[in-house]
Amino acid sequence: MRYIAPVLVGRAVRAATRARGGGSALPGYIVNKMAPGFIKNVVAQFEYGIVFVLGSNGKSTTTHMLTEVLRGHGLTVFTNPSGANLPQGISSALLSEVGVTGKLKADIGILEVDEAFALELSKTLLPSTILMLNVQVDQLYRFFETEVVADMMLDTAAVATQHVISNRDDAYLSKIGEILSKKGSVVPDVTYFGAAPKLVADSAHGLFNAANHREEASTAPIDALAELESWDSTGARIRVGGELADVVLPAKGLHYGIDAAAALATAAQVLGTEFDLAKASAAFSSMTPAYGRGELLDFGNEKVEFVMFKNAASLQLNLDALPAAPEQVMVAIDEGTPDVSWLYDIDFAQLDHVDVLTGAKAWQFALRLEHEGIPVGTIEPDLKKAIELMRALPAPTTGHKTWVVNYEQMMLARKIIGYGDMEVSF
Amino acid sequence: MSSSSAHSVSILELYPEHLEASGERGNVTALRARLERAGHQVDVVQHTIGRRLPKDPDIVVIGNGPVSAVRAVYADLMENAQALRSLADDGVPFFAVGAGAELLGGGITLADGTVLAGVGIFPFSARRGVPRQVGYIVVESAQGTVVGFEDNASEWNLDSGAVPLGVVTSGGGNGNGREGVIAGSSIATQTKGPILPLNPSLSDAVIRAALERRDVAYAPSAAHAELDRLAAKSREVIVANVKSVFTTI
Repeated sequence: MRYIAPVLVGRAVRAATRARGGGSALPGYIVNKMAPGFIKNVVAQFEYGIVFVLGSNGKSTTTHMLTEVLRGHGLTVFTNPSGANLPQGISSALLSEVGVTGKLKADIGILEVDEAFALELSKTLLPSTILMLNVQVDQLYRFFETEVVADMMLDTAAVATQHVISNRDDAYLSKIGEILSKKGSVVPDVTYFGAAPKLVADSAHGLFNAANHREEASTAPIDALAELESWDSTGARIRVGGELADVVLPAKGLHYGIDAAAALATAAQVLGTEFDLAKASAAFSSMTPAYGRGELLDFGNEKVEFVMFKNAASLQLNLDALPAAPEQVMVAIDEGTPDVSWLYDIDFAQLDHVDVLTGAKAWQFALRLEHEGIPVGTIEPDLKKAIELMRALPAPTTGHKTWVVNYEQMMLARKIIGYGDMEVSF
Repeated sequence: MSSSSAHSVSILELYPEHLEASGERGNVTALRARLERAGHQVDVVQHTIGRRLPKDPDIVVIGNGPVSAVRAVYADLMENAQALRSLADDGVPFFAVGAGAELLGGGITLADGTVLAGVGIFPFSARRGVPRQVGYIVVESAQGTVVGFEDNASEWNLDSGAVPLGVVTSGGGNGNGREGVIAGSSIATQTKGPILPLNPSLSDAVIRAALERRDVAYAPSAAHAELDRLAAKSREVIVANVKSVFTTI
């Protein structure tokens, strides 16, 4: 009963901020202030506890996959909308789901969490399971050094009360087993996922995980509960325990296959004997892509495929996943990506041209491509005009145009072509 | 590895696996592209830990990296310190960024107070652990306006009489109104972006210094026009957006 007032106030603020368009974090902030115990009390109701999904790349996609796999097993899942991974966004998401008395009907919470806030949030949310995806060079202007990010994840993993699921093929995250056993911890248990070594060796740029300059690589082989064996344009073959499963991937690429292996390993640990691989693979068949990750949207009589990037790893792995040089390409990048030094670490061999380059950093991107001799049709910094230039091109034989976009330009582009009213969710 | 015709130019890239964390590979890319478009053949030779330092490079390039990478390369660098100093004494231009530049300077005082002695090619010492400076930077230098992106928590204190690369008009630079330091034809800077693709005049200064030692002429031509045009446009936008505030939460 003590939460009725804060919840009602929070909801009123939520309605008001929505009406003005935006401001999703404020209501959560207000409820936290009015009733500090609110969140702790709500999450204590989850029978299967709370799962944190951490990583430089793939958080939204994997959170989505894991959510659908657990729903496929009949669980009611509470999850945060794609990208709403800061503390106030998570509070706001909880607020929209609870009854006025603070009751929340869900069996489990699956939350993607920003690395920088993971440890702090773990104090309130007491996660039972922590899934760590990868450590890749990301937002150095914010994190300074990549090993700082690794430690944020590793330190959070140590507080899980039941399970840690980690990436066998990551130079930092593969150390978690050693780290926890050195501490003499009995809980959490540690399980790994990974990709078959041959698959990594055959990938043009490997996995693009960050180099670890502070520790020697482990020599002892690490077993993976879930291992990606192969992938193609339709799906992935993943071995879980002794069993093989073919799953449909919501977006194509080696990294999405690894995300699927991570989701399956986590589901297997969380569900224990209730885990059913057939139910899990069935859940993948009906999954929609996460926002901007291989999504196909209507654009007049054509389709647009969004390929979103946030950093070097996501751009390289998404380029590598393209089956061939795309026929019609727009690249959009603005000041939402502050430091673009890493563009010079990218191999652009997958592009044979770019039709339109747009956004405030279009010139810097064009300068990079000129160093590789990749021709650029038009540079039009204004996104709206750039989209009109793309519209004016003849229909591509593949039926779709490819837009390679940073997060901020993706959100704007979606709005411009008529997908802006949707709430950020799946 | 090297096919040395009279006009072949050799670029020595120091510790690319460790010290190119901020896209410094792009500085090599820029030097290579401008040399090739001027008709020169280019050999890029990489030096990694445990290998023998290649002989007679025309240009030496080093970049930025985390403290763990600095520690990882340190012993190897010290073994090669004398050889590198000899190259600098012979007038081979060095182009050094961030942590790599600091290793080639007088020394680095780390945030915990530990001091790492440097190679002593550049007349400055670095102090880590000062407030971080992140964002676009604009510097007025002898080669004109230099622009780029800075992201460091390092203060550079120049030795008495040492000459900075330039004067900061926007951003933090060395932490005292100046940016970088020069030593003969060698340049050390904290500016990323990467800096050379964005600043063709700086690339050309490095290339000229290298080729003059071999009595080879260098002049940008029509083949450089598109690189220069796109760099100029990029620079315009950077100067216009120089006050962009970046989240550092």
